[in-house]
Amino acid sequence: MSSTSQKHKEFVAEPMGEKPVNALAGIGEVLGKRLEEKGFDKAYVVLGQFLVLKKDEELFRDWLKDTCGANVKQQGDCYGCLREWCDSFL
Amino acid sequence: MAALSNKSDQEIKDLLDEYGIKHGPVVDTTRPLYEKKLKEAMAKAKVTVTKPSPDRTFYREDQEEVTYVTCQTPVRSEGPSGDGKPYMRSRPEYSERDRVDDKPYSRPEYSERNRVDDKPYSRPEYSEIDRVDDKPYSRPEYSEIDRVDDKPYSRSKLEYRERDRVDDKPYSRSKPEYRERDRVDDKLYSRSRPEYSSGRQYIDEPHVYNTPSSSSSYSKPTPVMKSGGVVKKENTTSSGRLIPLWIQFLVFLIVAGFLYFIFTNMESAESSPFNKIQ
Repeated sequence: MSSTSQKHKEFVAEPMGEKPVNALAGIGEVLGKRLEEKGFDKAYVVLGQFLVLKKDEELFRDWLKDTCGANVKQQGDCYGCLREWCDSFL
Repeated sequence: MAALSNKSDQEIKDLLDEYGIKHGPVVDTTRPLYEKKLKEAMAKAKVTVTKPSPDRTFYREDQEEVTYVTCQTPVRSEGPSGDGKPYMRSRPEYSERDRVDDKPYSRPEYSERNRVDDKPYSRPEYSEIDRVDDKPYSRPEYSEIDRVDDKPYSRSKLEYRERDRVDDKPYSRSKPEYRERDRVDDKLYSRSRPEYSSGRQYIDEPHVYNTPSSSSSYSKPTPVMKSGGVVKKENTTSSGRLIPLWIQFLVFLIVAGFLYFIFTNMESAESSPFNKIQ
């Protein structure tokens, strides 16, 4: 099992509230900017998308790739982060 | 089928179910993703229907004539046995008997009888004359005359005449026996010695790669070097070597000389090592 990053740990430790989208694991400055341009300016909007995609990994990865051009690792990090957050708080 | 973007959400959902794609609700943000998935699924379904046979591996042994147009040397010397091109020739003239080769790398055409070798790298038996040999790396033995050798690296085969077999090997032909007259070995580089005609028993050049079989070979390189060195110069210009040949030669000579020096200075074993010191 791969270890999670510091960003991941921080995100899943508490409710996301109004955190910006680049607080998500795997989403850095560049990807965050692209997501914001598409209208996903907060982490909870991405969460909404994640939930609309029924928390399905493949769909979410594809969507993330299409929307902001995330690579495989970034997709995985973001998915894992959101899934774990949902496990804890949803 | 109408454009996917014109369909309603419900229709998209039905299509997704039809293709068995797992999906969530079709909303504004998910619609582009689902449309893309549907497009891929449709293309894939269409391909599998129309595609006849996936991979037809061509076995070259079965085919006589396959034209490859990868790399053709412009120079084609019509030698006794035809010309050979390094890589592949769109071989229209495969008309000779049992020509079975169809190799991308070697042998453009075998015009002689029972030529069965079709190997890019080594041809075990050459027993014919007028055999076009096409080996990029090594030719075990040439015993024929009129063998047109065809190596991938360059054969400016201008002068393939009878009895003038110019061998053209890119790396070095361990040619132990060049018996035929005027066999000009043009190894390693393109042939730049066109005028090697009959009567010239060209000394086998002492390549660096030839392992000296005996100690006598140590003395051989030096005199031959002179004659070979000159010729080699013209070769080096056209070759693509990283280190010029003469440098390699020089290094080889230095090493050989060094070893010889050591050998000669070795003390001979005394018959009775236990001499009493007076």
